[in-house]
Amino acid sequence: MKVNKDRYERMKKTGSIHYAMEIKKNLAEITDDFPDNPQSMEYFYKRFEEYTIGNLHEGKKVIASMCVHVPLELIYATGGTPVRICAGAYATDQIGAEFLPAKTCPMVKSTLGAVYLDILPGNIKPELIVNPTTCDQKKKMGEIADEIDKPFFTLEVPPTKDSEEARQYWNRVVKKFVKKLEQTTGTKLTRRRLKKAIKTVAKAQAVYRRFDQIRRSAPVIYGKDAILVTNSYFFDDIENWTIQVEKLNQELEERIKNKQTVGKANSPRILLTGSPSIFPNMKLPLLIEKLGGIVVNEEFCSTSRMIWDTVAVDEWFLYDMVPAVADRYLKPSTCPNFTPNTDRERKLLRDIKDFQVDGVIYQTFTGCQLYDMESRRIGKILEDNGTQTLYIESDYNPDDFGQLTTRLEAFLDSLKNKK
Amino acid sequence: MRKLKIKRYIDNSNVSRFRFWIQIISFFIFVYGGYFFIEIASRLPIFSCPYVQGSPGGCYLIGVQHELNTTWESMLSFRGLGILTSLGIFLLFFIFLNKAWCGFVCPLGTLQDWITKLRKFLGFSFTRYDEMSFKRLKSIKYILLVLLILIPLGIRNSFFGIHVPHGMHTPFCQICPARIILPLFTGDTSQIFIDFTDTTTIIMTSLGMMIAALFLVGSFVKKRFFCFFCPMSALQYIFSKISLLRMTKDGDKCTRCGNCYRVCDVGIREIADDIISKNIVKDDCMLCVKCVEACPEDDCLKISFAGMPIFNASQEGFFKRYTGSSLTEYIKSIEPNKENENESK
Ligand code: SF4
Ligand code: SF4
Ligand code: SF4
Repeated sequence: MKVNKDRYERMKKTGSIHYAMEIKKNLAEITDDFPDNPQSMEYFYKRFEEYTIGNLHEGKKVIASMCVHVPLELIYATGGTPVRICAGAYATDQIGAEFLPAKTCPMVKSTLGAVYLDILPGNIKPELIVNPTTCDQKKKMGEIADEIDKPFFTLEVPPTKDSEEARQYWNRVVKKFVKKLEQTTGTKLTRRRLKKAIKTVAKAQAVYRRFDQIRRSAPVIYGKDAILVTNSYFFDDIENWTIQVEKLNQELEERIKNKQTVGKANSPRILLTGSPSIFPNMKLPLLIEKLGGIVVNEEFCSTSRMIWDTVAVDEWFLYDMVPAVADRYLKPSTCPNFTPNTDRERKLLRDIKDFQVDGVIYQTFTGCQLYDMESRRIGKILEDNGTQTLYIESDYNPDDFGQLTTRLEAFLDSLKNKK
Repeated sequence: MRKLKIKRYIDNSNVSRFRFWIQIISFFIFVYGGYFFIEIASRLPIFSCPYVQGSPGGCYLIGVQHELNTTWESMLSFRGLGILTSLGIFLLFFIFLNKAWCGFVCPLGTLQDWITKLRKFLGFSFTRYDEMSFKRLKSIKYILLVLLILIPLGIRNSFFGIHVPHGMHTPFCQICPARIILPLFTGDTSQIFIDFTDTTTIIMTSLGMMIAALFLVGSFVKKRFFCFFCPMSALQYIFSKISLLRMTKDGDKCTRCGNCYRVCDVGIREIADDIISKNIVKDDCMLCVKCVEACPEDDCLKISFAGMPIFNASQEGFFKRYTGSSLTEYIKSIEPNKENENESK
């Protein structure tokens, strides 16, 4: 879609204003509507305040990514700074709708809109935008992005992950990706740099796993805050992020000691799964927690699925490190793009047990086929497990607020009565 | 959730380093121990090769081949008892360490690990069998085991009228690389020869030489190349279930991340993909526990002895081993830098 310059400028201007307003409003809801937020959360709130005004990673070579299947270690090791740009703003969703059918997933539309108008987190200027072929909508979005003249790179994610063929295919794709990164940043992948990158990411994972452990043991933090913590992993400097999460962990451990918990004793413990909640689209977690539930875990690609899994290397040479990194981004993934995807149901059952979950809320974005189609199978498995599940279809439009409230209220009440 | 201090210490430890030293000590004992009057036993579940002058023990396989070089009739008499006793001794040893004999003690296994170290030092990549070849080649060790039992029997007895020539006594030893390579460590090169007594011996000893050469080259390109074909490993596996040392897996905790498969020297896929079996010791496994070290999920893979947990997979241990420091140490090391950086902004 070629629009004339004036129209583009106008779109950009109004788009940015709406975007900034949306972010401000949603952030305020997260921070002001709840009492007693952990002090260490200030850092993360601030990150999101700077979302629209800052100039993040200035002077660095930013590689934007759109999915959990983009190997961060390789980006760091070739001198790039990864920023995940999957977007959650309704303002940019409306822009994306000019390119894609109305029924497309809002996350895809919103991301495309943001790329088109150059309003990305912290105003980054990516050298490369990595678009994995995880779902049809992203694939087709990639084609449109060419039209709007952005530096897209298609990362070919295989449709299955169990077979050896898929693994080999993916290994080759990753090798090609390394070449592309080297070209883009002008820095060669070396053994030393990759080793350091693997370790840096591993530390962030270690700190995140502690955070996760804390959330298992006691309800000391709201899910809306936890989601912000994981969301800031999208764009924050990874070492700063690690330091700050560690600070938060320490504060939360103090809270456990002082028995300073959030919610009430009978607050239902909720696990969120399905299409990812990405800031500023915090509709669902915020509503749940305002209505008296606590989100204790999220099985989202914007949260645990992104950070949890680790890289193990046997021989610290590129010949083993690169495939090890590749494996990490394929094998343990629970993305519904893969078939079969039994690992996802096993993960959910494990999380339900470990986090003492009372009920599951399954979110599907309008237009997201994959999560929608998988919801039946997952629903059946959860039912057999005796876990109550609420299925919600929603998008970025705030209009369904009233209807959502009614349904969530009823669900949470029934969980409370059972407790 | 709180673990005992000692348990935590062990789970965080680096077993591979420990194993490295145990292997050196074992190698020394099993190659030179005899010079120091160390006598262990002659029915060991490893390649403790009696052709090595300093060997303080014996490989059970040579015993099997000798003992079976007998007639059916005498096997039913007191000689049969002898066969059973030596099997009993073999099992007695085996019951304690299970396949860890291979991972920690066997000198031939250790030698392969050293060759791997050499390859790494030279910076060469390793190879792996693809899934198909792995499945196909897997059975060779069983075939060898069966032959190693049948051939000696065939010398004194006839199978459908076929008699095995006498030159085929201890047939496996004749082709075993341990017979040729291990004596070299005591400066004994006498096993490098071709026996020209008759056609059988010529064929067998030349085959032996070829296999020894293959052993050296093979283990340079593939980790534990020989173990994959080792009939001892096949024999051990038959009894693996009765051992007190066990490796178990809790499939519910497994994310199938494949870390364990990646580090497995013999390339056992099931270790990552099998989420049903509890006992996860497969026939090629040598209980080196590298997989347990690489597993980042608490208590997913476990080593236990007689039901007592010894070494469990743990997140904390994983991160410590793989990043070389604890989280607190790490944060301390990066924090000052980061503060400066953030201030200068
Ligand atoms: S499998 Fe390897 S370690 Fe085990 S007995 Fe055979 S050669 Fe030795
Ligand atoms: S390392 Fe652990 S979690 Fe990963 S596949 Fe192996 S057993 Fe499963
Ligand atoms: S499965 Fe584990 S213990 Fe067995 S050989 Fe492989 S890495 Fe070693």
